[in-house]
Amino acid sequence: MPKSKIDWSPANWPRLLFRFFSSYGLAAVVLVFLTIITLFGTYYQVDNGLIAAKRKYFTSWFLIHEFFGKFPVPLPGGLLLMLILFINMTIGAVIKVRKRWRGIGLLISHFGMLMLLAGGFVTFAFATDGNMTLYQGMKSSQVQSYRKWQIEVRPVIGENKAEKAWVIPSEALEKLDPNEGKTYDLPDLPFDVRVSQYYKNANAVPTSAPVSANAPGKEIDGFKLLQQELFTEAERNIPGCVAEFVGEDGEKAETILWGYSSKFLPDEKPMPFIFEMGGNKYAALITKKTWSVPFEVQLDKFIFEKHPGTQMARNFESRVTRMESDQPEKKVEIKMNEPMRYAGFTFFQESYGPPNAPIEEMFSQFAVAENPADQWPLWALVITGIGLAIHFVISLMEYSKKSRSNRAKS
Amino acid sequence: MKSSYTIFCLAAAAILTSCGGDKAAVSVRDLLPEEQEFKLAKSTTERFRYAARETSGSGHEGHAHATKEGGPQLIHDIPEGWTEKPAAMMRDVNLAFGENGEGECYLSRLPGAGGGLEANVNRWRKQMGAEPLTPEAVQKLPKKTLFGQPATFVDVSGDYGGMSGTEGKKNYRMLGLVLSNSAGAVFVKLIGPKALVDANEKQFNQFVDSLDVKL
Amino acid sequence: MKIWNNSFQNIREQFSGSGDLQIATRRKCSTAALWRSPMLLVATLIALLVFPTVSHAAKDISVPLDSYETWSEEAVEAFDRIMVQEGGRVKPMLTYSRFNMMKFLGGGTKTKFQTKDGVEHKIGSSEAMMDILFKGDRARFLPFFLVEDSAAVIQIGVSPKSKRDRYSYEELMPGRAKLAELAEKYRDKAKAHSQNKAVNPDLTLDEKMVLELGGAVSSFEFLLGQFGFARKGEMLVNEQILPDELKQLATKLDMAEMLDKMPEMTIDQLFQTIRSAAGGTEDEKMFSSAMRLFFFHANSGIGVNLIQPQDKETEKWVSVGEAMITGLEKKDNRPWAKEKMAATQKLVEAAKESDSAFVNVATEFYEGQKALAGQRNNEGKQTDREVKYYNAKYFSNSLVFFIIAFVTLALSWLSPGSGFGKWMQRITIALSVIGVLLLIWGITQRCLIRNRPPITNLYDTILFITATAVLFSLALEWFTRIGVGTMLAVFTGFVGMWLGITFEAKESSDTMGKLLAVLDTNFWLWTHVTIINIGYAAGLIAAFLGMVYLTGAFATRLMGKAKESRKFFKTLNRMTYGTVCFCLFFSLVGTVLGGIWANYSWGRFWGWDPKENGALMICLWSLVILHARMGGYIREVGINMQAIVLGVIVTFSWWGVNNLEVGLHSYGFTEGVERALHLSWSIMGLPFLLGVFLFFMDRSEKQAKLDAGRKDDLAAEGA
Repeated sequence: MPKSKIDWSPANWPRLLFRFFSSYGLAAVVLVFLTIITLFGTYYQVDNGLIAAKRKYFTSWFLIHEFFGKFPVPLPGGLLLMLILFINMTIGAVIKVRKRWRGIGLLISHFGMLMLLAGGFVTFAFATDGNMTLYQGMKSSQVQSYRKWQIEVRPVIGENKAEKAWVIPSEALEKLDPNEGKTYDLPDLPFDVRVSQYYKNANAVPTSAPVSANAPGKEIDGFKLLQQELFTEAERNIPGCVAEFVGEDGEKAETILWGYSSKFLPDEKPMPFIFEMGGNKYAALITKKTWSVPFEVQLDKFIFEKHPGTQMARNFESRVTRMESDQPEKKVEIKMNEPMRYAGFTFFQESYGPPNAPIEEMFSQFAVAENPADQWPLWALVITGIGLAIHFVISLMEYSKKSRSNRAKS
Repeated sequence: MKSSYTIFCLAAAAILTSCGGDKAAVSVRDLLPEEQEFKLAKSTTERFRYAARETSGSGHEGHAHATKEGGPQLIHDIPEGWTEKPAAMMRDVNLAFGENGEGECYLSRLPGAGGGLEANVNRWRKQMGAEPLTPEAVQKLPKKTLFGQPATFVDVSGDYGGMSGTEGKKNYRMLGLVLSNSAGAVFVKLIGPKALVDANEKQFNQFVDSLDVKL
Repeated sequence: MKIWNNSFQNIREQFSGSGDLQIATRRKCSTAALWRSPMLLVATLIALLVFPTVSHAAKDISVPLDSYETWSEEAVEAFDRIMVQEGGRVKPMLTYSRFNMMKFLGGGTKTKFQTKDGVEHKIGSSEAMMDILFKGDRARFLPFFLVEDSAAVIQIGVSPKSKRDRYSYEELMPGRAKLAELAEKYRDKAKAHSQNKAVNPDLTLDEKMVLELGGAVSSFEFLLGQFGFARKGEMLVNEQILPDELKQLATKLDMAEMLDKMPEMTIDQLFQTIRSAAGGTEDEKMFSSAMRLFFFHANSGIGVNLIQPQDKETEKWVSVGEAMITGLEKKDNRPWAKEKMAATQKLVEAAKESDSAFVNVATEFYEGQKALAGQRNNEGKQTDREVKYYNAKYFSNSLVFFIIAFVTLALSWLSPGSGFGKWMQRITIALSVIGVLLLIWGITQRCLIRNRPPITNLYDTILFITATAVLFSLALEWFTRIGVGTMLAVFTGFVGMWLGITFEAKESSDTMGKLLAVLDTNFWLWTHVTIINIGYAAGLIAAFLGMVYLTGAFATRLMGKAKESRKFFKTLNRMTYGTVCFCLFFSLVGTVLGGIWANYSWGRFWGWDPKENGALMICLWSLVILHARMGGYIREVGINMQAIVLGVIVTFSWWGVNNLEVGLHSYGFTEGVERALHLSWSIMGLPFLLGVFLFFMDRSEKQAKLDAGRKDDLAAEGA
C-alpha cells in the first residue's frame, strides 16, 4: 500500500469511514476481541452460570471484565463485535472486493458467513424457547418460558376462573431497582399497581422465624419477602415482589407475590392472590410467561430406558398425538435427536421428571422452540462449503496453469 | 466505489434509527382454556405452600424440647403408633415406630451449611445405594414445609447402609427433609423397611407439619 | 491417472512454492539442517520429562508364599473369553480384569513379586483376577495395591515399606477398620468440597490416596468373596462377623441343597427372620443359622454379573448371589438358580483341581453363555474380537515403532545429506507408516467392537487425533520433502501414543463404555465429531510447524546463515499457513455442523457452552491469522507465532475445557491434566518468545538498512 497523506477534511469523512469499516485490520482486530471475550465468557460461566455469561459477554454492547477478579478492563461486547464484523464483511468482502472470477469462491463463502451471523441476530431478536410438560394422557397447547417471570392481574369470573390477564412483562420487572418501586397503569382496569421489593430470587418467610423477623422489608399477612442469592443456573431462581393495588377512589390492597404460588407440576393449578376492587374480584400472581402453539399435543406414552444395570439414560422418548381443529390427528414419536417439527415450532425431548421418578408418576418435558432462522445455519454452511470448494478448485487450476507455463518457459 | 459507500451510509443510517425505544408496557392477553382455572388459597400460608398449622394437629399435646433454659423451644407432635426414644447425640428429636422399633425418625441440626444441600441429599442417596443427583436435579426435588420454610424432600428406596455389603438392609425406604441456608442446616430423616415406611408416610407428614419453634 | 498425477504435483508445488525448490533444498541440506539441532535438544528434553513418569517401579516385592504356580496360558485364555456385564455392556473377562486391576495397581496391569523359593514372578491382570476370584488364599498375599506415598499407610496404622510401594491385602489388614473409617470421612469431605469450593477445603494428597485405597480394598474384598458359597467354608470374606458355629456350618452345608428346603421368601423376609431370635429347639436354631449363612453367601455373591437372566427380555445380567435370591423368592425359579449355582461351583472347583480341568469348564461356561446369547439379543457378539484387540496391543506396539523411528531420525541427523542419512530418513518414514497403520487398525477394531464411529469419548480423540496428525505430517513430507514432515510424524506419533497409554492408565476404566442417550447417533458422531477432531489435529500440526520455524529461524540467524536457508523457511512458512487454512476449514465446518446438530437435537444452534466456545475460538483465531496476513499486518514470523497461539487454543478446547466443568468423578485426574496443559503451554511459549526476538531483530535490521540508505542519500546530497 503506498503511503499517501490522508485527507482529513470533513467532506472526506464518509470515505475514510468506509475505508475503516472495510479494512482487513478491522476484521483482524474484531476477531481478536471476539476470541478474547469468548475466552473470558467461558471462564466467567464456571462461577456465574451460562445466562449471566451470555448477558455480560456475548449479547452485550460493552462490558467491564475484571482481570483476575480485580483489575477492571473495558471491552467491547459480543453483540457489538458481531455487528461490526457483519458490517466489515458486508463492505469489505462483498461490496468493496474486486469482482473477478478468481475471487468468486471467497465471495460466496463470505455470503455464507454473513448469513450465519444474520441468522444469529434473527435468533437473538425473534426466537422463543420454552417448554411443555405433560403427564401421560394429558394434552396441552401451552408453552412455558424457562426463566421469564411476569406479573399477571386477572379479573375473576365466578369463583376461580379468569379469561384475560393484564401482564407486566419480565423485561420491565428485571430492570426494577428492588429499593425503589414503580407504578404501572393497567389500561381499562380501575386501579394501578405499584411493584416494589422485586427480587429475582426471593423467599417468603413467616415473621415467626427469627431470620425473617430481623430482616428488612415490609411485613404483610405475617410474611416478609427476603432476598436470596442468585443461582448460577438462572432457571432455579424464584422471584417475588410486594404489590400494592390502588384504586381510583383510594381503595387499597397489598400483598407479597411469590413465584412459589405458581405451578410446578404439569397438572398443578396456580394459587393467585385474590382481592376486591370497585366491587369486582381480581387475581394477581407472579408466574412464568406462557404462550401457545396453534395445535395441541397429547402425551400417549412416555418410555424411559437405562443401560442395563446402570443409571445411564439410554433412551427416552414420548409418543404423542398432535391435534388440530381442521386436521386429522397425527401420531408422532419424539425422542433424543428426533424432534417434531411442525408449523414453525420444534418439539424436542428435553427431560423428564419428577426427580424421584419412577417412584412418583413420570412426566415428559419437551423443549419448544420457534426460530424463523431455524435452518439458516445449515444453508449458510452449504453456501460456505460450496464457496470454499470453488475457491480451492480455482486456486488449483491457477497453479497448474502457472506451473505449465513455467515448464513451457524452461 | 462511490455506489458502494452510499450503500454503506444508508445501512449505517438504518441501523442507527432502528435503535432506541422502550416497549415494556402493560399488555393484555387471553388465557388458554387450560390456564383459566386457578386454585383458591385459604390463606397466605397456603398460597406460599406452607402447610397450615391448624390442620395438622392430631389431638396430641405439643411436645416441647428445651434447647436452652428460657430459650426457644422445639415443639412437635408424636404421631399415632410412634414412640419417643431418648435423645441421642446430634439428635434433637428421636422417634421410633414399627413393632420392634425398626423404623426411626429423627431431627438433627448442623451449624453452617452442613456441606450444602446437594452434598446432604446425595449423602442420603448414597446410604440407600442410589446414584447421586446432579445439582439441577437436586434443585428440582419436591419441597415440603419445615418450620414454615420450603425444605427439600428426599424419598429413596433401596438397600440401606453397610460398607462391604454384609450389614446391608435390603429393601428399605428413606424419607428426608433438608433445610439449609448459610446460617445452618436442619435435617429430618425417617428410615425403615419399605413396607413399614409406606404405612407411616402420613405420620411422617404429620410429624413434620407439627414441628415448630416456640420463642 | 495422469490428471491425478498432475494435481498431486500441483499440490506439492503449492506447498513448496516452486518445483525447483525441492532440488534446491536437497542440495542445501547441510545449511537447512541447522534448524534441527535445537529441535533435537527440545525433543530430548521432552523425552526426559516424559519417561520417568512411565515407569512403575516398586521396590519390595517379596511375598510370604513358599511358591507360586503360574496359571497356564490356556487357562488364562479360557478365562479371558468368559463374558460379564458391567457398565451396561457385555464384555470379556479380560477387559473386566484389566480395568479393575488397573484401579488397584495405579494404572499398571502387571504384578511382580518374589516367592520364598527365590523365584521372581510377573503376572498380568487376568491372572491376578483369577487368583482373586478362585485362589483367594494366595491372592491375599500378593502385592496388588499401589500406594503412591507411604504417608497413606501410616495414616491407617500400617507399617510403611518404601515411599512408593505395593502392598498385599494381608499387609493392609491391620489398618482395615481405620481405613474404612477414614475413607468414609474423606469421601464426605470431597463431596462437600465439590459442592462449595469457597468454604470447604479440598482433600490433601494423602487423604486422596487413603480414599482411593479404601475403594480399592473394598472392591478387592467383594471380588474375593464373590464365589464364597461354592467354597464350603474356605476363604470366607469378612468372616470376623460370623460366629464360630456358623463357620463350622459353612463347611458342611451345600447352598444349592439348602435352597430346596427353604420356604419361598423375599430377601426382606429372610432378613427379618434372621433378625428375630431363633426358637428354642436345636432344629430351629440350626435352621436359623442355615438361613443366616444363606443370606451371608447370597449377599457377598452380588456384583460380578456373569449370568444371563432367566427372562429372555430382561437385559440386565445377574450375579450368582442375585440368582440365589431369585431362587429363594420362588420355587419355580429354583431349577434355574441351582443350574447357575452349579455352573459357578464347577468353575471354582475346577480352578482348584487343575489348569486343564479349568480350561474345560471355563470353555463350557463360555459356550453356555454364547448359546444363551444367541437365543437372546445376541449380546456380546464382539467379545472375542475385543479379546483379540487387547491381546494384540496395537497401541503399545505402535509406540514402540515410533520410538525406534525417533532413534533412526536422530541418526539421520548425524550425517545429513549422506547416503546413510538418506537411508535413515527412509527407514524413519517406513517405521512411522507401520506405527500409524497399527494405530489405524486398532481404531478400526474399536469401531467394529462397538459398532460406532471412531470417536465417542476423550480417549478416542487421542487415538484419532494422533492418527490424523501423523498422516497429515507424512502427507506434508510427501509434498515438500524437506524433512520437517517426517520429524512431526515421529514426534506426534510418539507423544500421542504415549498420551493415549497414560490416559488409559490414569483413568483406569473401560474405554469402550456405553453412550448417553444424547450421543446415541452415529450420523452426527461420524460427521461433526470426526471433522472437528481433524481440525484439532491440523491446529496442533500448525503449532508444531510454527515452533520448528521459529526455533530454526532463530538458530540459523544466530549462526549467521539466515540467507542460505531463506528458501527452506519460505517453504516451511507455506506449510504453516496451508495447515492453518486446513485447520480453519475443518474447524469451521465441524463447529457449524455441531451447531446444526445442537439445533436439530435440542433446538438451539449456539449456546455459548464451554465446548462450543473452544471450537469457536479455534475458528476465530485461524481467521485472525488469515485476515492479518491478507492485510499485511503479520508476515512469516508473525504467522508462525500466531500458529503457536492457535496450538494453545486447540489444547485448551481439547483438554482445558473439560476441566472447567467440575464433576465428582474428575477430581483425581484434573490436576494431572492441568499440570500437563501448563507444561505444554510453557513448551510452546519458548519458541513464541524466540519469535518475539526475531521480530525485533528483523525490525532493527530494517531500520539499520533504512538508516544506511538515508546516510547514502545525505552523502550524495553533500557531494
